[in-house]
Amino acid sequence: MDQTERIRRVSNSFYNEGLRRAQRRDLTGAVQYLKKCLNLNKYHIDARNLLGLIYYEMGEVSEALVQWVISMNLKDRDNRADFYLEQIQRKQERLEQVSQVIRRYNQALFQAKSGSDDLAVLQLTRVVEANPRFVKAHLLLALLYITHEDYTKAGKSLYKVLKIDKNNPTASWYMAIVKARTGKAEIERRKIKNAFSHRQMQDDDVIIPPSYKENTGLQSVLNIGAGLLLGAAVIFFLVMPAKLKEVNNAHTQELLQYNEQLNQKNEEIGSLNDRMAEYENTANEAQSQLDSLLNSSDNAAGQYAILVRMMDAYENDNLTEAVTLYAGFDASLLTDPQVQQIAASLSQEIETNGYQALEDLAYTMWSAGRMSEALTYYQTCLQIKPDSPNVIYNMGMIYRSQGETDRAVELFTQVVTQYADSEQAPRAREQLAQLVPENQQAAVPGQSILSQSESGAQESASGQAGQENPAGQDPQDEAAGQDTQEGGDSQDAQSRPEAGAVTGGEEDGIEAGQPAAAGTQEAPAADGA
Amino acid sequence: MSDEEMTIRFEDEIGQFKPSLEVEEIGEAIVKSDLTDMSDIMMELLKRMKE
Repeated sequence: MDQTERIRRVSNSFYNEGLRRAQRRDLTGAVQYLKKCLNLNKYHIDARNLLGLIYYEMGEVSEALVQWVISMNLKDRDNRADFYLEQIQRKQERLEQVSQVIRRYNQALFQAKSGSDDLAVLQLTRVVEANPRFVKAHLLLALLYITHEDYTKAGKSLYKVLKIDKNNPTASWYMAIVKARTGKAEIERRKIKNAFSHRQMQDDDVIIPPSYKENTGLQSVLNIGAGLLLGAAVIFFLVMPAKLKEVNNAHTQELLQYNEQLNQKNEEIGSLNDRMAEYENTANEAQSQLDSLLNSSDNAAGQYAILVRMMDAYENDNLTEAVTLYAGFDASLLTDPQVQQIAASLSQEIETNGYQALEDLAYTMWSAGRMSEALTYYQTCLQIKPDSPNVIYNMGMIYRSQGETDRAVELFTQVVTQYADSEQAPRAREQLAQLVPENQQAAVPGQSILSQSESGAQESASGQAGQENPAGQDPQDEAAGQDTQEGGDSQDAQSRPEAGAVTGGEEDGIEAGQPAAAGTQEAPAADGA
Repeated sequence: MSDEEMTIRFEDEIGQFKPSLEVEEIGEAIVKSDLTDMSDIMMELLKRMKE
């Protein structure tokens, strides 16, 4: 048993040496030691597995499989060989590929031995392509290349072999021959010779660079100048453009920011303007509503305002204004009973005293030739007291003077028809006779009425009617006679108040066309007087 | 190296190359492999010595 233990130890030492060589990629040496290990102890599973692995690395897959199968037979559990076999043997496709590569190598070897070198080279080229680690194929290929003196290709194959198996003796020998043939051996020998030709430096040895030269003063100045120029050129051509570009970029960014801010402010201003316009519209609408409310006489507030102004004017003896305001006054809109009472008493006062003042004012305006104002006041008079033939007649005269014949005829007709018994009816009839020729009276709305009223007047006329419009006298003739009497100045005369028959204005120095002193009214002494 | 060592005789060299073991021959190779180790030899020697 002591001998057995000793054998085991020796086999272990062989295994360890084989492992070290395998780690240094001295595969050939490792194979030798591992074989010795197994010769001493066939049950050394690690040594057998490592031997198979080295065979596999060198392309000898079948040899590797043999070792791993034996290993598994010796120890079927916890054996790394099981994994190796799993990877190769139990995968049919891979095993088939391995088998084909080996078969081709054998064919190439047979062809090389039988002198068919070219075919062997072709076959081996395909073999090393399929399995680049097949050391024996590389060696055989290198041998064939060396035989054909193709040392370069042989060197490449040998280089691959030595990368797999560093100390492969056959590859080393072939490589030495290749180097000798290509001259690389001499180059390497020189390198080695140079490497060992250096001597140890002494303390007083001085190393002088071969390009070293001492600078003179002028050279120093020139060198400094050249350096400055070079530095300036670098700054000008490299630094300045970059700086300039950087500054431009910064300015561009700043400008963009300002533009953006400006756009934002413009948008804000636009929105504010829009809002301001909206507010202005709203304010205008409110103001207009307020104005309409304040100025409108259709509401209670307006009526109260009119009442106040009316009272103020009345208290100040400004009857004209009071009467004017009274025309737009509606007491029914007032709600306060006391105010209604005040308004009623004021209205009575104005109707009693103010009306005549307003009519006088209208007459004054007419006399002054301010026709439109006179008409306005007469309209107000009519609003206060609609049954006023004198006002209607005077308005007709004003319209006639302004050339509005139709309107004048209408008003004269109204006097004749509605106020036939009035003092103004005969004069209105005369005016109608002048304005409407006899043959056209049929077309005039008031013609029949005119005839009726004329006949009625003849029947019931008193002496007054007969004085102004004598019976049987044709209106046209009357008008003609009047025109003749007025010396062809009828048109001009009609533009002013008529110097009525009542006062005999011409004798009083009033020109034709002055307002007629109708009724109680006397002809004014103003204007043309 | 001498010149003789730097010369390769192709026939000699090619003779040293052996065919690689093919996959079909693995089983036979396993059967024929000699697994006798030093322990077996010792046991055999001891056995003969006893005889």
